[in-house]
Amino acid sequence: MKQTIRSIFVLIWVLSSWLSSAQAQAPAKGFYDFKAMGDMSDFDPANPIIPTGDTIKIAVLASFSGPAALVGQIYWASALWAAHDINKRGGIMVDGKKKLIELIKADHMSKPDQAKKITERMVLQEKVQFLWGTDGSNLQKIINETANKYKVISVNTASLGDDLQDATNFSRYAFQTSMSTGQLGRGLAYYYGQVKKKEKKFYILGQDYSFGHLLGDGFKDGLKEYYPDAQIVGEDYHKLFLTDFAPYLEKIKASGAEVIFTGDWIPDAANLLKQARQMGITLPFAHIFMDEPNFLHEVGVEGTKGLTQISQYGAENPAFKTPEQIKYYKTWNDLWKTKWKTAPFNSRLFEHGTGNIGSYIEQTYWLLNVIARAQSTDPEKVIAVWEGDSYRFTNGKVLSMRACDHKAIQDLHVFEFVPPDLQKVSFNIPPYYWFQGTSAGGPTFTIPAKSVLPWMDPNLDRCKGKSAAG
Amino acid sequence: MDPTTAMYVAQGLHGLAYGMLLFLIAAGLNVIFGMMGVLNLAHASFFMLSAYFGYQVVSVTGSFWMALLLAPIATAICGVLMERFLLRKVNAQLGHLGQLVLTFGFGLMILAAVKSIWGTESLHVKLPPLLEGQVSLAGLSYPIYRLFIIALAVAVLSIMGMLLYKTRLGKIVRAAVSDAGMVNALGINIPLVFMMVFGIGIWMAGMAGVAIAPMLTVFPGLADQVGMDAFIVVVTGGFGSLTGAFIASILFGLLNSYGIQFFSQFAAVLTVGLMGVVLVFRPHGLFGAKEG
Repeated sequence: MKQTIRSIFVLIWVLSSWLSSAQAQAPAKGFYDFKAMGDMSDFDPANPIIPTGDTIKIAVLASFSGPAALVGQIYWASALWAAHDINKRGGIMVDGKKKLIELIKADHMSKPDQAKKITERMVLQEKVQFLWGTDGSNLQKIINETANKYKVISVNTASLGDDLQDATNFSRYAFQTSMSTGQLGRGLAYYYGQVKKKEKKFYILGQDYSFGHLLGDGFKDGLKEYYPDAQIVGEDYHKLFLTDFAPYLEKIKASGAEVIFTGDWIPDAANLLKQARQMGITLPFAHIFMDEPNFLHEVGVEGTKGLTQISQYGAENPAFKTPEQIKYYKTWNDLWKTKWKTAPFNSRLFEHGTGNIGSYIEQTYWLLNVIARAQSTDPEKVIAVWEGDSYRFTNGKVLSMRACDHKAIQDLHVFEFVPPDLQKVSFNIPPYYWFQGTSAGGPTFTIPAKSVLPWMDPNLDRCKGKSAAG
Repeated sequence: MDPTTAMYVAQGLHGLAYGMLLFLIAAGLNVIFGMMGVLNLAHASFFMLSAYFGYQVVSVTGSFWMALLLAPIATAICGVLMERFLLRKVNAQLGHLGQLVLTFGFGLMILAAVKSIWGTESLHVKLPPLLEGQVSLAGLSYPIYRLFIIALAVAVLSIMGMLLYKTRLGKIVRAAVSDAGMVNALGINIPLVFMMVFGIGIWMAGMAGVAIAPMLTVFPGLADQVGMDAFIVVVTGGFGSLTGAFIASILFGLLNSYGIQFFSQFAAVLTVGLMGVVLVFRPHGLFGAKEG
């Protein structure tokens, strides 16, 4: 009898493993097999090995100086990882020849004039074939315009503007693999209205520039669509790099809000959370970038409990589903523990190659995979492959590229921050927590792609007559 | 106190706390300008440097109080060295233009230095346990740390007042401002006096740098983040006037808090607007002395 019960359990375990593996292997035109991952033992983002000569050249355009310099380092490490792996696998066959990938750091200093200058320099002097960007939709527009002018491919992995591929700004040469503000706002509204169905009073606090406002608009639109009973009890937009959040937080405290919705990124996100907790405000934040682990550790487990994040990297729990994915994760994490000794790469921010970092890595892999399947760096051949393409991340998530306006369609995931002892629901391999000194990812909920399709401009001729899914 | 009144009172205290913090920075800038005629464009950078020093001291000793003691002194020493070996020479040979270029350049050097030593990531300083939490007063719950900032600024202001008006050194400084040549003729080492004044001004900015660190992230943009607000305070109050800096700081803080409360869309414009209005009617600021 005991033997029979044990056999049944084994059978169930095998079946469930097969099912989750099958989920991880959802159909897609492109993917990388991480059983064949290159030898990454010499990878160190502070001392990268970058090939030169007859290579495939990609410019990584980002803020590498100024207040947002850390953002540039995150992009750089992420893009480097994917390039290093593919180089270690032997490179990519293009135009009948195997070529390695050469990444070039291009600092736009968060300034539009510098962005224009450096992008043109990358194309005209460095002869890059691909432009990888960037932090700031205004800067991404400049990069896309330059890509359009000189007919090189631009991939937007990080800017979240809804209008980047609209009738005014659309370029055949530009692809948006990142999510966008409308999707984020609507995704969080979907979560509160269709999944959680608990809190009803929301306060929107964002940064006072186009991104902050577009995100707030997306959330309001989403509430109308998915949560009509909800109430916006206040809405404010503060200047970038604000010093004192107390006056805003005092208003929020008095408003009766149950959740603060914010798109703030660091340092604003960190200062907002720290000052809220110092003032005794324990409300949860629904956020996108309030996940930098160094400051979360300062706030501690209690202060970070209940934070709710929407992510473009996530997948359904548990986070690790296949041996390949675990191998990929452990390779990054082991290198972080043992090899990366230089700031900022030795800090907790880089401990896990998941989250936003994971997303930038995977989006880079998608670009490289498209080049490999196009077997060419010729932009027309790359466009032909990428339009209508689909790509599977290591964690099983699949993205598809809407052909008419070059925007990625994808499920999004919302997860709640829980104390370390509850994180094993997500982090299902030893040590069974993401971080011990802060709350982090716990229960995760899928926002289906069809409910958060990226906005399609009805005035864009290429999309006329197409369904929202393209 | 009913919740609405408590909110308005709390907004006033928030304005006071931020205003006092700005005062610490602006006062140092004004002391240096008023007594030495030096417009120190690196002042906000020294403020940032002190925040980094504070972070380092806390990292090593675990004590915020040690940081509050040591970091401003270390920053003041850096300032004194700049004054002694660079500013004094440039001032003698190139005058005001040279001062501006030198102090601007030194600010950039501080920025480069903190990036190379501490990197570009955000660093964090924990609140000292003694100052964590809130106090409740008549239905108003208010963070202890912000009350501490107000008290700290008052203490620094008192020390400055005592030093300037109740000590022999203060008399010498005031006399030197009035007629440096005469004081020099009396056998008093004027360059040494000015070097001390410069150090005290930087020390005040350093105090603000350490005080602000637990509220904010310490990162290379910190000088820009706070520097512009401090500059508005100095211009509004009048270059060289401590009283002006004090009044303008409080006005700035309160206008910011109540502006956000009542006209949040225009809050950022209100403080700049105040500066504009003051300059229209009093081009030298609220308490600034006319040239000549």
